[in-house]
Amino acid sequence: MRLAVALFLAAVAPIGLHAQSQWVLTQSTLTWHVVHPMHEVDGTSHEAKGKGNCSAGACDFLIAVQLKTFDSGDSNRDLHMIQTVRGGQFPMVIVRTHLAQSALESGVIDADLEVEFAGQTAHYSHVPLHRVAHGNDIQITGTVPATCSDFKIDRPSFLAVPIRNEIPVTVDTTWRPM
Amino acid sequence: MQKKLNQRTHDLKVHQTLGLVTVVPLCAAVIVSSGAKQKHNKTTGLIIEPSSGAIDLHAALGASTAALYGFTAYYAIAAPRIPGVKPKGAIKWHRDLVWIHAPGMVLTPILGGLALSQENSGEKVHGIASAHSYVAWTTVGAYGASIIAVSWPIHLKFWEK
Repeated sequence: MRLAVALFLAAVAPIGLHAQSQWVLTQSTLTWHVVHPMHEVDGTSHEAKGKGNCSAGACDFLIAVQLKTFDSGDSNRDLHMIQTVRGGQFPMVIVRTHLAQSALESGVIDADLEVEFAGQTAHYSHVPLHRVAHGNDIQITGTVPATCSDFKIDRPSFLAVPIRNEIPVTVDTTWRPM
Repeated sequence: MQKKLNQRTHDLKVHQTLGLVTVVPLCAAVIVSSGAKQKHNKTTGLIIEPSSGAIDLHAALGASTAALYGFTAYYAIAAPRIPGVKPKGAIKWHRDLVWIHAPGMVLTPILGGLALSQENSGEKVHGIASAHSYVAWTTVGAYGASIIAVSWPIHLKFWEK
């Protein structure tokens, strides 16, 4: 009898792993980093919204954040950022990823990201995201290697010198199963 | 909204450019100011009048500074405000310093004119006109601080990156 139960559990375990589940973003820190020969500036938002749906062994995650929630410590710079990235027309940044559900169990997730920003969509392949479990929650951290040219953004300049093309966005998110 | 943001950025870029251009006549006016000053011979006690060329140059540079400053200020005032955004960070210092350098930009040429008319009357510069250089230096200091405020933090060793 015990053997039969054990065999049954072994048989249904993969089904359980691929069961439908949902995740919600509970905490987030997204930070863009801009480098100019005379300045280095970070702008941070803690107000991203996100959700994840897993079914049939695959997961779709989406994170959305309003551009106006990024704070660089200077309201003038923040408004200039919104203008430069056409935030009046496209006020949101949306990141999507499609993963195998089993990838959520590994320490480093190899993610393909689709980023909608400034009216453009860019794809970033094989972005390493680090996963740490905290009880039920999982913390996902990583850096999106964004550039101004990926989104056709005219680089802002100071004293006629433009900022660097690279505008990496570091991501620190905490997800909770629903 | 995007149109408003574009207009705002355009106006503030012109404001920035004119503000930096204004530094040129401002510094030049300061540099030539000593030549436009009445001097006193300590041994004889006589007043040595400056040359009219030095006075004219100083006055012209001062007037250019004030005019350019006016255009600079116009573009900052004309830039559209974005509702719900409160000034925060370095821009707040930049705006607050206006309360020092804007009255200074108005007062400095007035006091300079008063000082000049007293000199032309053969008088020693006295009264409120004697504050001309103090007001000018305060204005220069506030104006410089205002530029630094919006440029801070400056990564001085920029060649290392």
